[in-house]
Amino acid sequence: MTDTKRPREPFAPWDRRSLPGLFDVDETAERIGYYKWAEIKLFEALGGWVATVPELDVKLRLGTHCYHHAWHADLFDKRLPELREMQTERLTVPPNDHMVEFFESMTEPEAAHMTIEKLVGVYRVLIPHKIAAYTYHRNGTSEITDMPTIRILDFILQDEFNDWREGEMLIQSMIESPEELERAMSHQTKLEKIMLAAGGIAGPGSIGNPYVEVVEKN
Amino acid sequence: MRKIFPAEELARDSRFIRQSNEQRMGDPRGARIAGGNTSGNLAKLTPGLPNGPDRARALMHGIFVGEIQALEGAGRTCWDFELGDEVPLALKLDMARQCWDEARHCEISVSLAEHMGTELGEYAENALLYEAACNPDPVLRLTGVNRALEGLAIDVFNTMKEFGNMAGDPVLEFCEDWMLADEVTHVKMGSDWLRRLTENDKDRLDKALEFQKVVDRLFSFNGFRGEDDDSPIQLTRRFRELAGFTDEEIDEIADMSRDARSEANA
Amino acid sequence: MVQVSVKPESFEMVFYDAAVIGEVVAEVAERLGVDEAITLNIDETSLLGHSKILSYDPIDLWVGGGALENTQRPRNFGQTRSRDTIGRLLLRILDRRSGRFDDAPADDELDLSQFVAWDVHNVGRLERIGLGGQRQRRLYQFRNRHGFTDTADAAFEELWGSSELSWAEIERISVGCRP
Repeated sequence: MTDTKRPREPFAPWDRRSLPGLFDVDETAERIGYYKWAEIKLFEALGGWVATVPELDVKLRLGTHCYHHAWHADLFDKRLPELREMQTERLTVPPNDHMVEFFESMTEPEAAHMTIEKLVGVYRVLIPHKIAAYTYHRNGTSEITDMPTIRILDFILQDEFNDWREGEMLIQSMIESPEELERAMSHQTKLEKIMLAAGGIAGPGSIGNPYVEVVEKN
Repeated sequence: MRKIFPAEELARDSRFIRQSNEQRMGDPRGARIAGGNTSGNLAKLTPGLPNGPDRARALMHGIFVGEIQALEGAGRTCWDFELGDEVPLALKLDMARQCWDEARHCEISVSLAEHMGTELGEYAENALLYEAACNPDPVLRLTGVNRALEGLAIDVFNTMKEFGNMAGDPVLEFCEDWMLADEVTHVKMGSDWLRRLTENDKDRLDKALEFQKVVDRLFSFNGFRGEDDDSPIQLTRRFRELAGFTDEEIDEIADMSRDARSEANA
Repeated sequence: MVQVSVKPESFEMVFYDAAVIGEVVAEVAERLGVDEAITLNIDETSLLGHSKILSYDPIDLWVGGGALENTQRPRNFGQTRSRDTIGRLLLRILDRRSGRFDDAPADDELDLSQFVAWDVHNVGRLERIGLGGQRQRRLYQFRNRHGFTDTADAAFEELWGSSELSWAEIERISVGCRP
């Protein structure tokens, strides 16, 4: 018969989660606010572009992806009050002016012949940077105290990877000449420079700092 | 990217040929609606009509281009307005959801076109639906699109669903029913937001409802959509009730349709 | 050159040209081996695609304006659609004259299933000589009258792919798959 009084550890031997994580409550809320702001800007842009692209398959994908990123914004919006931020608009801000500049540049292409530029801005620049920042965050935050954020980010990352793949395939299918390739690379470079200045979608520290500070001895 | 994108610039590939409202409504033979016309003898769209399948094909193509424009309209509403009291985040989230739904409807319509033997762009496209979605006032957009036009979509999809059922076409009936469910959601979105955004502004509510009537009348096509037995597109009470239309509102649409038909026949 | 008489000779509601229409009719007639005078009456007030044979000898045809229309550019003449419409009408005439259709009901006595079965057989033949087509459209019409079943689809294939069936054969195939 089972001995109901026999004690067990609260964490099973295979559950190696530990404390603490990289971000406290306020830092987490701040980053979530930046993420939410970026997702809003992205879904607004995708929605606006639908009417401007003549390619039918791209048009439909943008409509679908618009909703994905709107849902991400909604998830972040719901997380903020749980991080003690009841005025969610207060933290729904860009991390710096460079991110504002980034989105202005990213959403500048409007003409019907600029589908390549529209897609490159989102799928070769913004979304990869989002994946990087979200991955850094979900790997670095506490799996015990901040599991709700990790869960949200895991769902969101699934969308991001799928959307990234779909967008990348659309871009590859649209680039048919050296001239079009040049357009894609040129636009990507322009936007990457702004993103570099911004430090990522959450500003400097978006993906942490991998470099080691070596202290000179003697 | 500009705010408010004009209908004349809606991006299309070479398969799509645009017909202006003036060209369509100015056709001396009667406006072409769903393979039929608004003059002459009307008859409920059923497979029993000699040209029933072809008329269903033509209507399906009209639905397809309408879905593209609905997708574009919802997308523009995500972009055209700054977030604030007038357009809260929750409204934009609903519009983004509508984008997804309309994109799926386009995919469904393309698949149905293949099923029915219609080529994309086989019929001229008219941008009246997107023009209704271009209003600079977000409340008027919602009433024009989500209540009037999506309400029409309920009528059209139900008619097509019944057509599919009568014809024994499992694909058509299945697809139309799924789209019909989404349209009820869209109308509810429109009804809910209209109420919330005009809660303390009766003038704005009246203006919005007036605009809705204008759009409803425009899209009744001289009685083509109505409650009479021979109306090709049947006004669908049951699903409209589910979507939040009151009996009085539905009666008004039916009366408007009868009046429009009488005027056209006079 | 086949002599074609188009009525009316000028149009007010649509942007049709009687001479152009005549050329298209003549071209279709020649492709089908019809070498006699043809009269084509067009009701320009109608945008529906109805058509009928007023007389088999001499050949006298009637169409609603919509049967010749370019559906992408309403009120404008559509060559492809017109070839399809005229081709189907002329094939019906040739079939009736062939002796293989002596037992077929009169045109206005054909029910919808019979009509579409014969039409499928006509359009299949037209497609093979480069006129008409839209196979999936014809299949959809056929399914509406005969059911959305594998049996009906097989019947469609037989009607579409056969050359010069008799009325009895068409009727047999059609009846064999009706619900």
